[in-house]
Amino acid sequence: MPRRVAKHPILGDLEETNEIEFEFEGQKLKAFKGDTIASALIDNGLDIFGFTDSGKPRGFFCAIGKCSSCLVIVNGVPNIRACITLVEDGMKVERQKGKGNPVW
Amino acid sequence: MKYKVCIIGGGIIGTAIAYFLGKMGETSVAVFEKRYLSSGATGRCGGGIRQQWSTEANVRLAMRSVQFFERFKEEVGMDIEYRQGGYLLLSYSEEEAQQFEKNVKMQREQGLEVEILSPKMVKEKYPYINTEGVVLATFCPTDGHANPHKATFGYAKAAEKMGIEIYTHTEVNEIDVENGKVKGIQTSKGYFECDVLVNAAGAWSREVGKMAGVELPTESYRHQIFVTEPLKYFFPFMAISFSKNFYIRQALHGQFIMGQGDKDEKPGINENVTFKFEKEMAKKMTKIFPFLENVRILRHWSGEYNMSPDAQPILGKSNEVENFYYAVGFSGHGFMLAPAVGEAIAEMILLGKPVHSDISYLDKDRFKKGIVQEKNVV
Repeated sequence: MPRRVAKHPILGDLEETNEIEFEFEGQKLKAFKGDTIASALIDNGLDIFGFTDSGKPRGFFCAIGKCSSCLVIVNGVPNIRACITLVEDGMKVERQKGKGNPVW
Repeated sequence: MKYKVCIIGGGIIGTAIAYFLGKMGETSVAVFEKRYLSSGATGRCGGGIRQQWSTEANVRLAMRSVQFFERFKEEVGMDIEYRQGGYLLLSYSEEEAQQFEKNVKMQREQGLEVEILSPKMVKEKYPYINTEGVVLATFCPTDGHANPHKATFGYAKAAEKMGIEIYTHTEVNEIDVENGKVKGIQTSKGYFECDVLVNAAGAWSREVGKMAGVELPTESYRHQIFVTEPLKYFFPFMAISFSKNFYIRQALHGQFIMGQGDKDEKPGINENVTFKFEKEMAKKMTKIFPFLENVRILRHWSGEYNMSPDAQPILGKSNEVENFYYAVGFSGHGFMLAPAVGEAIAEMILLGKPVHSDISYLDKDRFKKGIVQEKNVV
């Protein structure tokens, strides 16, 4: 896989086990168990996680759950931070455009 | 330094009085604020603008204020995010519903347009509200909300343009009273002479009254609010319940602002927050407004309600000290009454009595006759 750090001086070598499948914008993608949504998307070559109200692309920025730049819709729920949410098998992830729609 | 009118308090009330004085031609006016503009209850409030009250006095003042809020942008010159999305009042018991019907009758007599809604009608109109337990609701379409910071800055800037001085970070330490008349004030930035002094000190109204030797029956109680992350703007009105003890609105940016009162609060200035509030509020609000379920809390703060014995403001001129005016004890609804109060106090100072609003029944002497409680308070 091209965009993954396979060898890390501190974390060591990546063990490619436990492959799972999730959906992004209706497209089936592969990830590893333990991936965040963000790391899985980046590994799949996807940098645009959503759009601002005015249509500008948004993506990975602070990486620690603070900046809200990476908000996505997960299983219909908006405002999910891709950088600190673990991807799950069968998860449906969508790009969020602007602010989230209310769900009830 | 001398000003004709000195005003203590840089909240919405103080700045509104300054603005109306200026508008009526009196510009020898100064506002003294110990912190920054709107740093007290004004800037910490929910920002609701409601006319649905249980006493005629509050309804009339609120209706007069709405006339000013409607023209704020043109007249005062600032967009204060004013929206007339209405106010939905929810009752949860037969007794409360009866009180609501009584209120609506009185409100209609005052010329206010108010609808009565059954729980079914509420559900149809607002499917995102869980109406479980609702007995009856009332809705006033001309109620609304605005940004209280912007309103304060709007009044202050307009006043400054007319030549009025605003002293922020300037604390009033002493009121100089001689022979039953205010001569001036001692502040952290020196002594200022004045002909008229106005107490618009909100949470600190009683202390400021004491400096002049005037006893004001007000007590300050902490109230807390939190704000959530934004969702798309879809909730144009303010929803409120007295028995369930909450109010909620969505700011134009999309954040939900909500608060409740706490019967266990002790009087005094306290601007800390508690986890108890967050827990109680989150539990209650996600049940009534299910769309809040996965919405995160962004910030949480508190401010003071300056309570009067009947939860109505105390407005007027002191009998004990000549030229000492007060506009205090707003009991959590000073922001929405500010324009009418600013106008009335300015008229009292310059013309001897208010012209557009009758506020005689809001003088502090009313408590000698007994107390008619305003019930519509969270």
